[in-house]
Amino acid sequence: MAINKIITLLIFCFVISLSYNNLYASSETGGKEQTALNLKIETKDLTGVNLWIAELYNNDRVLYAIVVTLVMATLGSIMAFGTDLVLRYFGMNVSKISHRE
Amino acid sequence: MDIFNIYLPVAGIEFNVLLLLLIGFCVGVLAGFFGVGGGWIVTPALNIFGFPMAFAIGTDLSNIFGQSIGAVKKHHKMGNIDWKLGLISIVASVVGLEIGSQLVMALEKAGDIGSIVRGCYLFLMFGLGVFMFYDYFKLNPKKIKPSENKPDEEISKTNKTKKKSIAQKLHKINLPPMISFPVSGVESVSLWIVLFVFLFTGFLSGFLGVGGGFIRMPALVYLIGVPTVIGIGTDLMSVLFAGAYGCFTYALKGRVEFLAAFILLIGSSIGVQIGATAVKYIKGYGIRLLFAIMIICAGISIALEQVFKATNISHYELSSKLVLMGTAVMMTVIIITNLITESRKEKKRKVETE
Repeated sequence: MAINKIITLLIFCFVISLSYNNLYASSETGGKEQTALNLKIETKDLTGVNLWIAELYNNDRVLYAIVVTLVMATLGSIMAFGTDLVLRYFGMNVSKISHRE
Repeated sequence: MDIFNIYLPVAGIEFNVLLLLLIGFCVGVLAGFFGVGGGWIVTPALNIFGFPMAFAIGTDLSNIFGQSIGAVKKHHKMGNIDWKLGLISIVASVVGLEIGSQLVMALEKAGDIGSIVRGCYLFLMFGLGVFMFYDYFKLNPKKIKPSENKPDEEISKTNKTKKKSIAQKLHKINLPPMISFPVSGVESVSLWIVLFVFLFTGFLSGFLGVGGGFIRMPALVYLIGVPTVIGIGTDLMSVLFAGAYGCFTYALKGRVEFLAAFILLIGSSIGVQIGATAVKYIKGYGIRLLFAIMIICAGISIALEQVFKATNISHYELSSKLVLMGTAVMMTVIIITNLITESRKEKKRKVETE
């Protein structure tokens, strides 16, 4: 229940930041001057994953931000689950604890 | 070691994978154990090894977000999160943060505020560290009772009574509306006091430009009176929100090195689970002692950085960074050693009772 609440709040935060940042992006990239928002990566010598990241970065910054955020969240969850299993395998108690001061 | 170097396309630099994993692992252990984001370790560490500062901050925030998910999940599972208190802390901290950042803007117009902010930072770190040391030595069970046969519960009760003295005084202030936090064992406290505490910690985060984990965690323990482990879990929940926003907004501005953040997160996700598990095996006062040592070492590092800025002697800058990295590695080793020792003891105890 609490997890659901926090996920809803996270989505809400993203929507707010997305609207704000889009507003900021459109006002900043209108001119020709290179800013943080319209910087481009040189893709000439890149291949594989590096090329994919660079193209994502160059072509759609909003999508880049969404992909980074989602990948971080997914990887964080998967790693947490995996490490939990390994710790349990080694006999560590990973369940609810009784608090000791 | 060059074979482990990879090219990071967004930042446009080469970086050692093993180093990224090590930095991630150390900060993960500390984050899971102390309930902090660890930005004050990762950002300078990445910067020392060649990351441009803006990329170091953005990449660090992405890592904080990813590792916090695992840590929050873990602490939630262990019953260490007071969601009600956490949500109040987020709302009040955001308002406080805005007030703090507005004050910085106002002071900036008036002149150089760098020295004021750094002075406050140092005062806060050393003050908090010394207070926690004092608290530890005052409440250390070995000092309270020389007899080894006294039951653990009794020690805990004695400690609890003394530890919560500031919190208990605050709980006595009858200023409606009163609110309770059953998960934290807080029966009744004025909502205004809770809001004021988080407004103040948020203000400090905004004023000092830090995530605020190292301020909020002690505030939860000493001012609101929550048990140490719940303070850690609840604080991590606020860190998760800050990290999510930071990750997205920095990525949008093109200041997150995706590949580095990914590798960093592999190391920190493993570390954070180990750190959070260690909380189960180490008593609250032990955690607070380690926390005190860590923030005093971080304070020394900042002081050395200030000496470098005043004298321009590069040795001070190097020493500052070494102290910071050394502290992180040393703390990681201590936490893991304690985890292994205590879990072995517990296993032995279980076997003996069976």
